[in-house]
Amino acid sequence: MNWGSWSAFWDMGGRGLFVWGSYGALLIMVITELAALRHTRKAALRALQEDHDS
Amino acid sequence: MSLRRATAAVFRRELQLFARRKSDWANPLMFALIVCALFPFAVGSESERLRLIGIGVIFVAALLAAMLSLPRLFDEDARDGTLELLLMSPEPLAALLLARVAAISLVLGVALALLAPLFALFYALPMTVAGVLALTVAMAVPTLLLIGSIAAALLVSARGGAILTAVLVLPLTIPTLIFGAGAALRVLQGESAASELALEGAILLLALALCPPAAAAALRISTD
Amino acid sequence: MARSEQQSNERYGGRWFWRYASPSAFFAPAGRIETLCWVLAAVLAAIGLYLGFFVAPTDAQQGEAYRVIFIHVPAAWMAMVIYLAMAFWSLLGLWLGTRLSFMMSHALAPTGALMAVLSLWTGALWGRPTWGTYWVWDARLTSTLILFFLYVGYMALAAAFDDRRKGDRAAALIALVGAINVPIIYFSVKWWNTLHQGSSVRPGSSSMATIMLAAMLIMTFAFWAYSIAAAMHRLRTIIIEREGNAAWLRASVLGGKR
Repeated sequence: MNWGSWSAFWDMGGRGLFVWGSYGALLIMVITELAALRHTRKAALRALQEDHDS
Repeated sequence: MSLRRATAAVFRRELQLFARRKSDWANPLMFALIVCALFPFAVGSESERLRLIGIGVIFVAALLAAMLSLPRLFDEDARDGTLELLLMSPEPLAALLLARVAAISLVLGVALALLAPLFALFYALPMTVAGVLALTVAMAVPTLLLIGSIAAALLVSARGGAILTAVLVLPLTIPTLIFGAGAALRVLQGESAASELALEGAILLLALALCPPAAAAALRISTD
Repeated sequence: MARSEQQSNERYGGRWFWRYASPSAFFAPAGRIETLCWVLAAVLAAIGLYLGFFVAPTDAQQGEAYRVIFIHVPAAWMAMVIYLAMAFWSLLGLWLGTRLSFMMSHALAPTGALMAVLSLWTGALWGRPTWGTYWVWDARLTSTLILFFLYVGYMALAAAFDDRRKGDRAAALIALVGAINVPIIYFSVKWWNTLHQGSSVRPGSSSMATIMLAAMLIMTFAFWAYSIAAAMHRLRTIIIEREGNAAWLRASVLGGKR
């Protein structure tokens, strides 16, 4: 195991900002993309449903 | 009508349009002049500093000016019906498009190439550099117009033409920018620019071979 | 060979996979591929991150900052691979006129652009502690930036047409033009880099320990699976948007709600 404690883990040998800045960006982008995927799918389904009902 | 006569007619018509509407070539040149005049206000007027950025500014200004003339390639023709006639012509569309781009390149390329040494004075560049710059601008403008003709052809029937043309075309002109400005930089550093000039010419030849057919395909897509 | 398969072979010109060039035939398999790839992406990312953070040791030269590599390199690779895939489907679409090929291109583009941005961002955050600067005009970084421009151009062009058929073919053409240009741009930027000696720092090719390499490769496969899953999801959405009038689609999507 590399890390003695959680604070050492978050500190990343003094490079925490860079490492977590990168992984944080990954997380934000993936969440944004997943939300966008959901959103467009829902909109497409709604349009189809409305078209179907009318 | 033979292929040669058809392309000659297209070429001549383009030159006549330039002769009638002076703003078509005067405005891009004014634009380049103004861009070149703006930079010293932003970076300061010391000759040393100007010499460092001069080549790049002049080159980019020339490319942008040429890019501004891309919409005229097809927009008006699409409105007045000339485009339909071009598309219906039995001659290969790529050859006709090449004739048009050649005419525009002849006017704008030569004019910008002649102005480049003048701009070089603004930036305290030596005359030898100005000469190479004129040569590379004369090669880069046709290259940009050839690449740009693809984008302009695609965007004939699309929304938001002008700005989208810039987004599509400018990244693709990076090689010609690198070698064109690079050649002048070599001369400024007192070295031989032969290899950069050769590569700049190679890119122009490659564009000459690949772009007209692609632009013809693009025009068929967007007008079909 | 089963009888029905034989019939279908005759119908689709002798190759079984041509059947899947039709949106209706590919809709259900795309969903199964999507599910599989979401699971794969999650499992592989968990393994890769565990190896990357808890098993791989501290790098002797770069300290802990090198752990950014586990996502930086896969993102850079995916940005390139997805563009190639996009160009491939565009070529196929222009050549064969298959609707699904254009849809595949559209489905891939946003994920590719995301990978390019992620690669640039993580590259900057890795470069700062490692080379002391957020950005160098290195051939690889510069090419990734230009790749991002190409993705943006592709998506903007596809969105600029009201006529979907035109938009498809126009965007496909520009994807191909871009694909021809990418190597030219890469080599000219490399040349330019040797001309301007200014940036002496460049990404070194230091050898990696096996465990680091393993973590990076597993993360690469995770990114790969994620990209496929996202593209398949987007593809299915595009099919729903475009084939809304088809009875099979209404039956399969709205079937339960009637």
